[in-house]
Amino acid sequence: MPLDYPIDRRTLSNGLRVVVSPDHTVPNVTVNLWVGVGSRHETVGRTGFAHLFEHLMFQGSRNVRSGEHFEALMAQGGRLNATTWFDRTNYFETVPTGAVELALWLEADRHGNLLDAVTQENLDNQRDVVKEEKRQRYDNQPYGNALIDVYAAIFPQGHPYHHPTIGSMEDLDAASLDDVHAFFRAHYGPDNTVLTLCGDLTAEQGFELVERYFGDLPSAAVPRRPDLAQLAPMEAPVRVERREAVPNDRLHVAFRLPVDETDEFLAAAVALDCIGGLATSRLVRRLVRRDQTALGAHATAWGFVDGASLGFVVLDVAPGTDPALVEATFVEELTGFLEHGPTDVELEASLAQSERSWLSALASQEERADLISHHLLLHDDPGVVNTHLDRLRDVTAQQVLDAARRWLRPDSRATVAYLTADDATDAGPATTEDVA
Amino acid sequence: MSAPRPDVAPPQPWTFPAPVEHLLGNGLRVLAHDLPGQYVLSLRVVVPTVLSDEPSGKEGVGAMTARMLDEGTAAHGSDEFAELMERHGMVLGAGVSDGGLLVDVDVPQRHLGTAAELLAEALAHPVFPDDEVRRILRNRLAEIEQERASSAHRAARELARTMWSATDRASRPTAGTSESIGRLTREDLVEFHATAVGPQGATVVVAGDLTGVDVVGVLEQTLGNWSAPRHRPPSRPVAPVPAPDAARVVVVDRPGSVQTEIAVGRPGPDRSTPEGWAPHPVLSFVLGGSPSARIDAVLREEKGYTYGIRSAFRPRVAGGSFVTSGSVRSEVTGEAVEILLGILDRAREGFTDAEVRSGVDYVGKTAPGRYATADAVADETAALALEGLPLDFTTRNLRAVAALGRDDLDRAYRRVATGEWSVVLVGDASTVVPALEGRVEGPVSTVAR
Repeated sequence: MPLDYPIDRRTLSNGLRVVVSPDHTVPNVTVNLWVGVGSRHETVGRTGFAHLFEHLMFQGSRNVRSGEHFEALMAQGGRLNATTWFDRTNYFETVPTGAVELALWLEADRHGNLLDAVTQENLDNQRDVVKEEKRQRYDNQPYGNALIDVYAAIFPQGHPYHHPTIGSMEDLDAASLDDVHAFFRAHYGPDNTVLTLCGDLTAEQGFELVERYFGDLPSAAVPRRPDLAQLAPMEAPVRVERREAVPNDRLHVAFRLPVDETDEFLAAAVALDCIGGLATSRLVRRLVRRDQTALGAHATAWGFVDGASLGFVVLDVAPGTDPALVEATFVEELTGFLEHGPTDVELEASLAQSERSWLSALASQEERADLISHHLLLHDDPGVVNTHLDRLRDVTAQQVLDAARRWLRPDSRATVAYLTADDATDAGPATTEDVA
Repeated sequence: MSAPRPDVAPPQPWTFPAPVEHLLGNGLRVLAHDLPGQYVLSLRVVVPTVLSDEPSGKEGVGAMTARMLDEGTAAHGSDEFAELMERHGMVLGAGVSDGGLLVDVDVPQRHLGTAAELLAEALAHPVFPDDEVRRILRNRLAEIEQERASSAHRAARELARTMWSATDRASRPTAGTSESIGRLTREDLVEFHATAVGPQGATVVVAGDLTGVDVVGVLEQTLGNWSAPRHRPPSRPVAPVPAPDAARVVVVDRPGSVQTEIAVGRPGPDRSTPEGWAPHPVLSFVLGGSPSARIDAVLREEKGYTYGIRSAFRPRVAGGSFVTSGSVRSEVTGEAVEILLGILDRAREGFTDAEVRSGVDYVGKTAPGRYATADAVADETAALALEGLPLDFTTRNLRAVAALGRDDLDRAYRRVATGEWSVVLVGDASTVVPALEGRVEGPVSTVAR
């Protein structure tokens, strides 16, 4: 079934790239902005700053008081948030059609005039909030820092993806008001931003409104450095071991991959699907169902643009099983895949699952707008929403085999092992001990 | 010069989509939503069951039966079944809630026929292979350990144990404990399936783009053949019985924690409450639904103690709860708990007109967007079927929300918030317990993780 979501695009004179994608099935409009700055642009000693900065975007701007962005939009039936990732920062809200102008006005005020309102008090408060976010999502979770270890093990020191988006406590502590001003001037501006409107309006209405609210913003961002050259696969395996109070041993096996939106990345992602991403993947059949030495096996491919992408497999080791045995079996299955490549059934299953998840993502106006902004900002091709599945259909077994042989060799892996602490005592079922 | 702040045009009235209803020959009710442009269809099968019907000591038998439905059928082995689903872009999840066994399927429209056939097989003819049963039970035991290691899961489990009477099924995990799972056999699952899972009284919801699809024809030929001769209707669901000593503080010791997970609960209503459901989602929003809500305005935006704390009314098929939960850094636990309980208690003094307006507008005006996709519409209609609510409930409730005033919110909150909170804190007891002194009322007890 060919997809035909409408994609109308224009670029304002200040460099803002705009897509309008009309969809009148729901009386809502999604406003979605992607700014071309993420943790990959952070400097030594200031990790986590892009994300901390994102929080400050909700604390007021020239004509908007602190917290008003959330309050004003929610009171009109808006659902909104923002996220920061390696390659970019996004800001988005879905509002009833009648509130789209308010949403654009609020966005333009903070994307154009944030610095008028930034204060030391707001910075200190949101620094604390972000540190609690880090504790909640990473430090206080079993295995919570495993992916941070993966980034550090698979990408070399100084590489944009070597450190996590959440940053370190020390660097968050070091962030100053001067950093906020410098960061805004370096990265925020219409010429480093894209804006998608998806929903209940026409293309002409959409362009007119964006021109009205964003047309006066001056081009501002510092010219972007070119993306780094492709990083080659690792030459020799790397291993990181942590002993912690985790419920069972868990292995994270990572690989460098080609950059996103290349044929080779798509092929490598299909290979990872067949190896560990599908419910009927080789690792699930072997480790989870047949040998029962693993509780679960999951593979993921994350596409990035700056010289590398990331693929990883998570293996939950069954209690009582030697993790070395699980890793050895993993290598055996991987080696088998590198000999013959995927079967027709595996390719069919991978394509069918990708099709459902892609169509499910596009089913929601919010996610569709986000995918359009993504491909507009990072690949200058918002039409990917309509063409992605056709590209996947064209991936051949030979391409998958070739990509796997280049990128997924056992020698190119980094293994991060989280092992149950030797001295961990089993507390047994909860019982009342004392009453204070 | 930038453009002036624009005005907002009010939204048009909106209604939740009405499904078309059919009854299949075997008694299974079909509710179909045609949603053009939603290319992935969402199917939801709701079989009323009642958790407290599980045999004593075998808690979790329902959840384990649900997890076994797609692990091998009379026609297909476990691997073969998984491969068939996967090649047709289908994904299936099954579990139980307090009031039913639920099977969810998402599938691209052109594979509806295959999906309905596999779904019917899973419901009518699962064969519970020995080896797969052992694996599913073993995985549940490992999952229990993983939940025990997670502060949020551990807090939720302890809150249920604290709020509800020890004799009530609601006080124990839906998917069973390590003791009860350890006692389960293949025969228990086979028996549960034969007696508790059948088409009588059950509903299947289909939502998505149904252009050119003969839904009733497809379902009649698949799920319409489902029969369960030994199936017995479940008991009438009743609200859980609160524990006599529910108003207390329990600290779950998790040494070395850098945060304390807080969970505060009280029994609350279900969505068929004669007092009206409408005020409850509004209360959730005003107290703990945004960074400007009463709790986060202080604990996040003023103090910076938390990434965010949420309040929510959680309706069950019968009864429910009002739970406020989130985490704060360990050092401020005592002060944060005192502030949080103070906010929850002081809210009994009443809400402001501005708060009522903001909550009413948020809940009402977000509805078209919250129910814009096939899966969201299917989930809501399945919930209505499970809870025995009329199909126009969602729309009527939104009208009632729009008409709410301060008195409605105040009355609804005072019915629930009597000041007798069950408080669970998962954190490092060596620092948490001393920090509570003079800050909380009632007994404080400590349990091991």
